[in-house]
Amino acid sequence: MTDVLTRRQLLERAAKGGAVLTVPGLLAACGGTGKKSAGTSGSHKLAKTLRFSNWTLYIDINEKTKSHPSLDQFQKKYGVHVQYTEDINDNATYFGKIQGPLSRGQSIDRDIIVMTDNSRYPSLLIKKGWVEKLDKSAIPNIKNLQPTLQHPNWDPNRDYSLPWQSGLTGIAYNDKLTDAVLTVPDLLENPKLKGKVTLLEGVGDTMPLIMAANGDDPTKVTDASWDRAIKRVQKAVDSGQIRQFTGNDYSGPLAKGDLKAAFAWSGDVVQLQADNKHLHWNLPKDGGGIWTDNMLIPKRGNVYTASVYMNYYYDPKVAAEVEDYVNYICPVVGAKQVLLKGDPSIAKNTLIFPTKEMLDNAHNFDANALNNQKYITEWQNLISG
Amino acid sequence: MTAVAASAPARTSGWTLAWTFVRHHVLTVYALLAFTYLMLPIGVVIAFSFNHPQGRFNFVWSGFTLDNWRHWDGVPGLRSAMVLSVEIALLASLVATALGTLIALALVRYGFRGRGATNLLIFLPLSTPEIVLGASLLTLFLNLNVVFGFSTILIAHIMFCISFAVVTVKARLVGFDRHLEEAAMDLGANEWATFRKVTLPLIAPAILAALLLCFAISIDDFVVTYFNAGPRTTFPLFVWGAARVGAPPQVNVIGSVIFIVAVTGMVANVLAQMRRERSATTA
Amino acid sequence: MTFLHRHRGLTPYLLLAPGLLYLGVFFVVPLGFLAYQSLESGNFDVGYAFTWAWGNYWDAIRGYRGHFIRSLEYAGIATALALLFSYPLAYWIAFRGGRWKNLLLLFIVAPFFVTYLIRTLAWETILADHGLVVRVLRDVGILDPDGRLLATSVAVVAGITYNFLPFMALPLYVSLEQIDHRLIEAAQDLYASRWKAFLRVTLPLSLPGVVAGTLLTFIPAAGDFINAQLLGSPKQHMIGNVIQSKFLELTDYPAAASMSFVLMAAILVFVAAYSRAVGTEKLTG
Repeated sequence: MTDVLTRRQLLERAAKGGAVLTVPGLLAACGGTGKKSAGTSGSHKLAKTLRFSNWTLYIDINEKTKSHPSLDQFQKKYGVHVQYTEDINDNATYFGKIQGPLSRGQSIDRDIIVMTDNSRYPSLLIKKGWVEKLDKSAIPNIKNLQPTLQHPNWDPNRDYSLPWQSGLTGIAYNDKLTDAVLTVPDLLENPKLKGKVTLLEGVGDTMPLIMAANGDDPTKVTDASWDRAIKRVQKAVDSGQIRQFTGNDYSGPLAKGDLKAAFAWSGDVVQLQADNKHLHWNLPKDGGGIWTDNMLIPKRGNVYTASVYMNYYYDPKVAAEVEDYVNYICPVVGAKQVLLKGDPSIAKNTLIFPTKEMLDNAHNFDANALNNQKYITEWQNLISG
Repeated sequence: MTAVAASAPARTSGWTLAWTFVRHHVLTVYALLAFTYLMLPIGVVIAFSFNHPQGRFNFVWSGFTLDNWRHWDGVPGLRSAMVLSVEIALLASLVATALGTLIALALVRYGFRGRGATNLLIFLPLSTPEIVLGASLLTLFLNLNVVFGFSTILIAHIMFCISFAVVTVKARLVGFDRHLEEAAMDLGANEWATFRKVTLPLIAPAILAALLLCFAISIDDFVVTYFNAGPRTTFPLFVWGAARVGAPPQVNVIGSVIFIVAVTGMVANVLAQMRRERSATTA
Repeated sequence: MTFLHRHRGLTPYLLLAPGLLYLGVFFVVPLGFLAYQSLESGNFDVGYAFTWAWGNYWDAIRGYRGHFIRSLEYAGIATALALLFSYPLAYWIAFRGGRWKNLLLLFIVAPFFVTYLIRTLAWETILADHGLVVRVLRDVGILDPDGRLLATSVAVVAGITYNFLPFMALPLYVSLEQIDHRLIEAAQDLYASRWKAFLRVTLPLSLPGVVAGTLLTFIPAAGDFINAQLLGSPKQHMIGNVIQSKFLELTDYPAAASMSFVLMAAILVFVAAYSRAVGTEKLTG
């Protein structure tokens, strides 16, 4: 278990002249220079404002100045003001809100939104034609995208999306209350864990792990493999093994010892471990899940400005600056090397920079299954009694 | 409480005295226990505002610190979210209570066509699940092509608060003694003066209760607000989003502050009142 | 005590107009959209079309009857508990509160200042499996040695009750506070015991508050979803949870809409029966 840098330590370090962690500092250290917009044709004009909707507390913060340093640097470099709104806190609810205007062809007044691909909504947005294609000519840094994330099944060429952060779904357990829980069958069927385990309520979170445990491929779901998986979960629910299906509200009970084990996200456990050393997290032996929060450009958003921002983010130094605060999984190759110099404890944390073995053992969920009305209705009926 | 003196008092043993004491105060004891129960979550919130978690989550007690209170404003967006919530709640409760009181007056005192339908209409918003209420209101706003923000949030909040105000004020009006108003009018006051000087003061507690209830509902609303807030964030919206990655203790601080400010305000009010009375009697 | 003026000209309509107009535009019209949606058929991919699909209603009732019943049950129990809890409290504030009444009312609504989520998480802490409350209940034998409170119907109903207490307590207070104390004194002068005076004088006079509080608690509680989601297991999920999922996850808007109307109809049937039972006109105006 590695130490996790607290925000407090981060701020203290930054305040004490740890200017290395700021982009100008890093740029200066590496002798790089800021480049103005790669203006070529006339349509490549930067807007005055970039309207960016993101999840709460998902970007770097300077508590003293109450600002987001990476966004301020972007503003300085490109002259574009970033209107940053933290109004996404759930994929389904956010989609429920934006589908109104989008279905009418209206703009939702955003250039970038961020949605998770363990839900059906990114693929649904693409299917309905409610997102714009990226301007890849403005994103040369796209080459820095992690290889494992380059071809998701719902956007095979990354025409519409770029990852913001990733996370792994695995099993967390409390070593004070139970022996190590390292496999899904153990969690689902071990009588000693009865009533003290939870699964995740997202079908795209839980089912990849169940299917992998059944020996099936989560990225290619068939009726047969779906049936096997859902029957297994149903059995565990009926027997009282599963206490609840949770969003990330497992974190409280897990931290306080109400749960012995749970399906959990890596990023959460990184934080919980700081206060409770008994918590452990692992990818299940048969395979875990990987999800990505993706930047998308909603219809009528400014494609060029959004793409320029994405390019800016995919600079390893900028990604490192954000990563240092957010502590989920960075999708940008090279950020780890930057952090090794600036903040090694984060760089060496395998829950933040997972190894290749870990990434190979984590699977996306088949986007077609996510949108299959029969499957998802069955799932909702299961989790709602 | 007036004592019942119907029978000769029994020999006053210690037990009888104790039992009388208990009987007189059982209600107070109950009230104290009840308030403790009500305030338990607030207690937990205030307590954890002094917590010093090592990680992002504020679930386990790790140590005492005043830092969160010193840097109460350290989380961008949190303060503006709370300010917005309070503004909306104040405005919405005032407007909703005003509209609701008028409706309550009409319903209780007058017979008119459509009385039953009006009663039904008042109950409907209460029974509509928030998710479809919020989404349908969103549809309306989209069709009207309005800009989302403060006004749409306010409109939504007034809408679902009116019913609460109506029912609360009605409870007072139903038992209201009309003879007082009649007496005032017999003494020469017109309808408006009667209303202002007689009716209104007498139903003031109900209006205050309605204001409090609407304020509480408004400041806590999540679903309907979420759909109609556009780019603005209220305190509940912020908290729900922050909880995903670990709400910072400053959330506890700000939540506690609102409560403390309100309590202080009310206490100050009472003390000022007491002082006024004392100086009036000693003058 | 109240007498209705029949046909007092325009006054009632003038009083009603602002509020009803407001509700007309911002509630009834959206409700109309919802009704339209409830009769659509199709799916999200190809779109929805208005087809007088009354089958949606039938599907809602048939498919989720258990959830409807459970919701009404939980709401009913929570309302009864809230009444039992709040009445003595409201009584104490009204009769003994003195000049501190308003402050005490503030304490009742104070929990709402810290948002639903935080309140419920605080309750998760209090009702935790190894927490004081559960340990005591286990020792006393009310719970099995490995029993729990969270993720059971007890926790869900307790959560609903707690979250709706102000809705019950405030109307009760409003009604109790206006009772003329001289009536009670008169009863006692006529040799009634304190308890009798309460039963014969106070309680009946407070019934409008009881009715108001009951309605303000039961009606929204039946549609609640958040307590079941955070404090319950799948077996406790209410119809509100199903409507949520139909709308958000399954993007099945006609289903969500028709289910909502079935819920509203069920609630209103109960309200009508309840009003009939307590004798409306006198009590609810």
